[in-house]
Amino acid sequence: MLSARNITKNFTTDGNIVPVLKEVSVDIGEGEFVSIVGRSGSGKTTLMNVLSTLVRPDSGDLHYGADNLSALSEKRLNQLRSTDFSVIFQFHHLLPYLTVLENSLLPFMQSMKPVKKADVEKARECLDRVGLADKADRLPGNLSGGEQQRVAIARALVKSSRVLFADEPTGSLDRTTGEQIMALLSDLHNDGLSVVMVTHNPSYAKIAGRTIQIEDGVIV
Amino acid sequence: MNILTIPLRNIRRKPSKTLLMLLVFSLGVMSIVALYQVSQVVGLSLEKKLTAFGANIVVSPANEKLSVSYGGFHMGDMLFDVHDLPAAETVKAIRGIELQDRISAVAPKLVTMTKVKDTAVAVVGVSWQEERGIKSYWGVNGQFPQQQEQILVGSRAAEKLDINVGDSLEVLGDTFTVSGVLYETGGDDDTVLLMGLPTLQGLLGTPNSTSFIEVAALCAGCPIEDIVEQLQGALPGAEVTALQHVVNQRMASVHFVQKLALSISVVILITAAAMVGLSMLSAVNERKKDIGILRSLGYGKSQIFTIFSLEAGFIGALAGLIGYLSGFGASFKVLELLAMAEGAVPVFSLGHLLIAVTAFALVTVIAAVYPAWKGAGVDPSTALVAL
Repeated sequence: MLSARNITKNFTTDGNIVPVLKEVSVDIGEGEFVSIVGRSGSGKTTLMNVLSTLVRPDSGDLHYGADNLSALSEKRLNQLRSTDFSVIFQFHHLLPYLTVLENSLLPFMQSMKPVKKADVEKARECLDRVGLADKADRLPGNLSGGEQQRVAIARALVKSSRVLFADEPTGSLDRTTGEQIMALLSDLHNDGLSVVMVTHNPSYAKIAGRTIQIEDGVIV
Repeated sequence: MNILTIPLRNIRRKPSKTLLMLLVFSLGVMSIVALYQVSQVVGLSLEKKLTAFGANIVVSPANEKLSVSYGGFHMGDMLFDVHDLPAAETVKAIRGIELQDRISAVAPKLVTMTKVKDTAVAVVGVSWQEERGIKSYWGVNGQFPQQQEQILVGSRAAEKLDINVGDSLEVLGDTFTVSGVLYETGGDDDTVLLMGLPTLQGLLGTPNSTSFIEVAALCAGCPIEDIVEQLQGALPGAEVTALQHVVNQRMASVHFVQKLALSISVVILITAAAMVGLSMLSAVNERKKDIGILRSLGYGKSQIFTIFSLEAGFIGALAGLIGYLSGFGASFKVLELLAMAEGAVPVFSLGHLLIAVTAFALVTVIAAVYPAWKGAGVDPSTALVAL
């Protein structure tokens, strides 16, 4: 479903070019749960960002189904992120001034057209699924870290994404909450969602069906 | 819920910052609105005061002018078929035009020539109240006529006829007392005898007739040409002439006040807009994380631009509303302090309010264009560094 070939990405720090990904090739299958592991600075987050189209590679090809993502316009990539791909981050990343319900509906608030009632209903269902139905009208600041992460997951569910990218989704959570989040991701995967998760926790990595080990920008 | 929800909720998140920005811009708008209202009222009252220094339109009977010479002898310009105007009807027609609120004074006059003490002199019949309204610069040795048998004499005429205040004078077969002598004006009034219009009409046996009418019109709200056109329409048998030099001189003073207010307003507006722009620029830097989240959810550059523009536009519209209302209120106080309103008051207009709200919303949006464009240009990967 998602195929990366010979991906190279360099960053410039203090005028020096630092290679982060070196000719990386990886395939993610439909409905697969893949974890990307590696030490800090190994390039695992950059790989996930490239796969989720948040970062454009310097060279190499990225295909999603029949689409060559490297050749797609900015507009088309935005559309893809709006529909097929979802990203959740280590620090939850909700807009603090929107309620839980509004945060989960953000993908549908991109124009002056009001959000459809059906989408609102779906958002409530998704919040119910992640156990936050009773907190729909709260602001993120009033939620625990685990609850905030669950809102981010609900947001991915609301738009019926095909691939969920998760960057250290349990990184800032305590063990119990982390396990709850992992159980939720596992459930979603069982429902057919493809999951690409970056983690440095070996026990969480094992939950995924496949693990990609990356070191110094190279898959080993 | 739609894209507008995002800026509106963000505005609510930081009430003190929002209020401060709103306060700054509202103060700017208030100053501009107050200045505008004050300049309009002061301009109008200034023009009203200036009408006391003479008329700017003359209504005279239509005539045909002939330059006559015969056998080498030049007889000068001769007016053919000249009839006096009917005073009451003409004044009524002038006062009845569509722009009647722009008519400040209507001063009819009847002019004739006669001999007094064997000296040829012009006698002018005037409506005292209207005449003094457009000639506030008149100064009198003695007093203005209070009775029908009293007359006012121009300074040069008094000198020529060797008459003083209190003297009796026979004019057109009737005896009049000189109630006062005009101080020298440097104008036509120096050489004539002035009496009440009905008195002269009675002496000449031409009741209700007038030779010409001087009109003082206020031109701040509309061009003099419009008033002249309407007068011509109302008085087909008369000739209406605008004294352009008087109009231009008067409007130069009024326009100076308005231009001064406009210049100050522009400076205030630029300052307020710059502050909104700076505030939005810092907001963009503070909210890179938000931009990153939105970009990861598929929001494009145009939508990020829209969010920041809407936020600025909302503040501008609100500041426009608050500023207009407070500026309107403040203008009363300013006029009271300046004591220049001369009875005129600022006029509230819903249309002006809507224009102000729209215009100031637009100004803030324009001020936010660069910050919004900068925010929209933030690459998702750069924004992600902030995450």
